[in-house]
Amino acid sequence: MKRRNNTFTLIISILLLSGGFLLFPAKRFAQEEAASKIMRYKQYEVSTGYYEEYEAKPGKQLPFVEIPGVRHGLFPYSPAAASVRNPSRLADAHQGIRFYDRRRCEDCHIEQTKNIHITRANLTCRQCHGGEPIASSEHYFSPMNPIRRHAYVCSKCHEGASASYAGYVIHAPNPFSASTLKSFPVLFYAAWIMVAIAVLTFVVFLPHTILWGLRELLLKK
Amino acid sequence: MMTNKNRIKRFTPVQRLFHVLLMLSFMVLGASGLSRLYINTGWGKWLAGLFGGYESALLVHTYTGIFLITGFFVHILYLMAKINPKTIIGPDSLLPRGEDIKQFFSHIGWFLGFRESPRFDRWGYWEKFDYWAVFWGMVIIGITGLIMAYPLVATRYMPGWGLNVALWVHRIEAFLAMAHVFIIHFFIAHLRRHNFPMDRAMFEGSTDLEAVRSEKPAWIDRLKKQGDYENLLVRESQPQQKAIFFVFGYIMVAIGLFLIAGALVNWQRVIW
Ligand code: HEC
Ligand code: HEC
Ligand code: HEC
Repeated sequence: MKRRNNTFTLIISILLLSGGFLLFPAKRFAQEEAASKIMRYKQYEVSTGYYEEYEAKPGKQLPFVEIPGVRHGLFPYSPAAASVRNPSRLADAHQGIRFYDRRRCEDCHIEQTKNIHITRANLTCRQCHGGEPIASSEHYFSPMNPIRRHAYVCSKCHEGASASYAGYVIHAPNPFSASTLKSFPVLFYAAWIMVAIAVLTFVVFLPHTILWGLRELLLKK
Repeated sequence: MMTNKNRIKRFTPVQRLFHVLLMLSFMVLGASGLSRLYINTGWGKWLAGLFGGYESALLVHTYTGIFLITGFFVHILYLMAKINPKTIIGPDSLLPRGEDIKQFFSHIGWFLGFRESPRFDRWGYWEKFDYWAVFWGMVIIGITGLIMAYPLVATRYMPGWGLNVALWVHRIEAFLAMAHVFIIHFFIAHLRRHNFPMDRAMFEGSTDLEAVRSEKPAWIDRLKKQGDYENLLVRESQPQQKAIFFVFGYIMVAIGLFLIAGALVNWQRVIW
């Protein structure tokens, strides 16, 4: 009887604990504003009415101020440099590209179609990149700008997406390909280390178990 | 007649319960996880259908995962309560010992026919490996799973690209775990001649005395020396019970083989 009680208590406690886990509300960090080029998370502030550079018009460049993913400090663009076509900072990424309007995104960007959002969630490119003109992801006014990507793009579908959440790599590379070593080293190493662990386990235990089976088969009882 | 005490006790009811809960949640997790990974194949769609579709498969997967993690914590609490500092190091403990490595190699020597079989004590190295593999697997797969189940909370403490990494670590570890359980663990527990057709120890709580004597003689000797031997002998369970264990065990094997076969056959067609 005592034993049955133990077992019963155990099941109940597992169920209760896992139930409690589920009831615990996931916190939402909705529309967390990234509103400063120095401190990107002033979400606790009341608005001052003072607008940062990228919120209004790209103005003067502060040479030492870096906005992660947006602008590199120390070497601001000179007027000459600014006139160079910088593919990741264009208001219209396809400006001047011929026959653009007759073709589909995947004709030119095949690599960008191989990811969960496209293959599994069936999203179209425009659900994230928006209508024409498609801005480069780092153009000041692009909704894809990391400053506001979470609020303008991700949280259309992922309620409460934060700036950090939007750091998820949508167009994820193949973790096993050599080029990933450069573009996303952590993913590359993590995936290969896991594969190494798996291969090692099987290199040891597969022959081991087969031999064992054979040995016992041949054994006289 | 089953009046003979021809079996020796090996697992307590609570331990067996842990094992059954682990089995059931492992199967549900494996099936629902694979159904999502293989969703663009017919096999994956059929599998997802069992769980009510692509999205509810995720729901089932997440909830079962949380159940399993909770069970894992309860198991750790159970260990805390159970641990006996006197036997924590020694043949009764599941902690790995130098002996295990030696036995591993001499066991292989025996497979190849140039050695006597090692005299195993209570736990063979493969049993210890199975036990600790669950620990390491639970930590890796549980943490990455929680990260993906609560991505908004997780990305408060880590950058968003951590989710990409978590997904792949989760996938690879899941394949490792399933392949190990469905191929190696099942083979050892069911198919090798010593246990064929099934090692009921984890269900019945006891093992056939003859079998233990031939495989784990050191344990029997030690028990006899300590004088615990007689107390551990038990009777065989009723045929009806045995039938239940048998059917349950083989259903699990069938599910496992079905999952691993489906995963391998459809491997090429997955769009990762
Ligand atoms: C004719 C081929 C072509 C088509 C069709 C095309 N693109 Fe592009 N796209 C390009 C090229 C080339 C660039 C690089 C621009 C540069 O280097 O100045 C580019 C750049 C981009 C960029 C900016 C890359 C960055 O660094 O931020 C985005 C975003 C983009 N394309 C999205 C799309 C989407 C979405 C579609 C479908 C609506 C699409 N493209 C269709 C050729 C194409
Ligand atoms: C879920 C939202 C989402 C969808 C859907 C999406 N993109 Fe993107 N895309 C992004 C984000 C975010 C970036 C910025 C990546 C960065 O800054 O590292 C990006 C960057 C790009 C770039 C710049 C180069 C790169 O790989 O970083 C191109 C080109 C592009 N997308 C094309 C496409 C095309 C073509 C499609 C449709 C097949 C598409 N995208 C669908 C979110 C999306
Ligand atoms: C149009 C809707 C939509 C938008 C916009 C969108 N997503 Fe998603 N996202 C989805 C859907 C649907 C899924 C579920 C895919 C699945 O489960 O197969 C998903 C899945 C995810 C996942 C989980 C992937 C995994 O490994 O399980 C992450 C992380 C994610 N999105 C991040 C983002 C980020 C970051 C952005 C902004 C750049 C974004 N999403 C924009 C619809 C969207």
